[in-house]
Amino acid sequence: MSLSHVVIAPMLVALVTAIVTLLTRSRPTLQGGLSLLGVVGYAVAVAVLVGDVLSETVLTYQLSNWAAPFGITLVADALSAFMLVLAAVVSLAALAFSVIYVNSYGQRVSYHPLFHFMLVGVTGSFLTGDIFNLFVWFEVMLMPSYVFVVFYSGKAHTSAALKYTVLNLIGSAVMLVAIGGLYSTTGTLNMADMTRRLLAAEEYGIDPAPVLGLAALLFAVFALKAGIVPFQFWVPEAYSAAPAPITAVLAGVTKKVGVYAIIRLYFTVFAAATLPEGLGLPGLSGTSFLAFFGPVMFLMALGSIFLGGFGAVSRPDLDGVFAYSSIGQVGFIVLPLAVGATVPAVRSLAIVAALVYSLNHAIAKSLLFLVSGTVDDAVGAITFDDIGGLTGEMPVLSAGFFVGSLALIGIPPLTGFFGKLLVFQVASDATIAGGNGATLALAAALAGAILTIAYLSRAWKEGFWGETTGAVEGATATPGLVAVVVGLATLLVVVGVGFDPVYQVANAAADAALARTDYVRAVGLEVSS
Amino acid sequence: MTQFVLALVLGILFALGTYLVLRSDVVRVVWGVSIISQAANVYLVTMGGLSGSVPIVAHGGGHGHVTDPLVQALVLTAIVIGFGTTAFALVLTYRTYEAHGTIDLTEVSENT
Repeated sequence: MSLSHVVIAPMLVALVTAIVTLLTRSRPTLQGGLSLLGVVGYAVAVAVLVGDVLSETVLTYQLSNWAAPFGITLVADALSAFMLVLAAVVSLAALAFSVIYVNSYGQRVSYHPLFHFMLVGVTGSFLTGDIFNLFVWFEVMLMPSYVFVVFYSGKAHTSAALKYTVLNLIGSAVMLVAIGGLYSTTGTLNMADMTRRLLAAEEYGIDPAPVLGLAALLFAVFALKAGIVPFQFWVPEAYSAAPAPITAVLAGVTKKVGVYAIIRLYFTVFAAATLPEGLGLPGLSGTSFLAFFGPVMFLMALGSIFLGGFGAVSRPDLDGVFAYSSIGQVGFIVLPLAVGATVPAVRSLAIVAALVYSLNHAIAKSLLFLVSGTVDDAVGAITFDDIGGLTGEMPVLSAGFFVGSLALIGIPPLTGFFGKLLVFQVASDATIAGGNGATLALAAALAGAILTIAYLSRAWKEGFWGETTGAVEGATATPGLVAVVVGLATLLVVVGVGFDPVYQVANAAADAALARTDYVRAVGLEVSS
Repeated sequence: MTQFVLALVLGILFALGTYLVLRSDVVRVVWGVSIISQAANVYLVTMGGLSGSVPIVAHGGGHGHVTDPLVQALVLTAIVIGFGTTAFALVLTYRTYEAHGTIDLTEVSENT
């Protein structure tokens, strides 16, 4: 058991920055500078933490030195580390973009503190080892996001924010109910302790059946956060309403918090439980909890891929295409997880695939939303009726869009290629292993990939090629904004070319997610057996 | 008996909250959301078990069988969060009224 103060470093940096930027509101230049400095500090703190995690495996931090399971535990393993890197990269780019993009009044009032508070919530969600604490961090992360959706407070924004807020408040209530039920049935809130108890359910007098039901209820909440069908309906409106750099963070990072929670809770914690008498549900066999969640995730992933894909093909503006594309891409992240849950032989590879795909989606989709923001900033419109021929006026920005699109489609040597490759590999390995429905997963992934090509080439053809429209004529993109886009595009190429270390870390993360007993021991609890 | 009454009350609260959330008037929707979150809080308290005495250690240390105090700490946290979100939802309602001139959700959706 290794105790480390580095675990709370990223959280503290973000929290301090949030407070400092709140106090320096009367000095806009100083505030912006401190905010940027804070996000750089956050990236450094994450880098140090990741370095420690990769050399020492699992780091834990017991708040106020209360031993688990009585206190709140923070756990940093390779899985948390991977997600934190993703958060750091996207927020660094988004904040650099924001400083130029968001008008000075907006920045002064609330933008910077809210941004960092959101980062605190995201970081806490990735690091916590306690289910109720996870609820609290979710709320910390959501509260600023409500404000960001209504940031411009026009007609469309208030309407979108109202729906987004009400939906998430109901989600929070459901989460609370599920957590209360889990506490009542398993007798603990600590994830490691819960894993330990579920491993020896009989010894602790736990009936696994209600745990499965409550876990399913909790799953709905995570699916809502991740925007998976049938909980995807808030995505397009909220994404269009929020400022472009925030949409990049919402799509790139906060969605991934839902994905992370699914991997952590369902593959590490709840997978420890078995139902000795079988699931007892029509059409489902097996005794593991994952035998239930596999098919459920599979249907949700299929729904997301097709609804997102077909929706994106028909949207009239850039943001709409990207928002629906987000729904579809999250389907691609959940699909390997579903296959891995059903076929234990490919489970580790499935998590690697989901993580690599998440990384690619985080970078590429933030890039695309930032492109949309830059176009909006320069032209004042993002509907395909008003824009056209952007390649002529903004060649560098168009190149950025092109690289981002190719990454989403999955063309080598970009990061996206490896994401797609791994997803297909999971599906084909599962087919060879004789997994139920693995062939269908392969077909769905293929169809989804074709849809991705369709909607992105449509966006390219309508917006970037063709005749230069009056609005685009003579418009110039702000160089600073283009620089951020180029930075992300370069990152996509660099990560794709030097993919091996990323793969190693993703592999370590997948191992960490499945190394149940190591996780429990790291928190300082004994595993009986 | 207490369990039966609480289960009934919880059912009524959740039903009432759901009914209000489905109204077209924004204020009622906000009311509905806060009723649902309060119902979740009551539910959380019942999850710690209903037997035992108040979980306060008397002077001198003597206490019998007490109820689980953890859920009460959780509910306290949840109430504080609920307070913040309800306040925000009400301000958002007012802002919606300012932007749209109505708090009827059907009309709000129509003129965006």
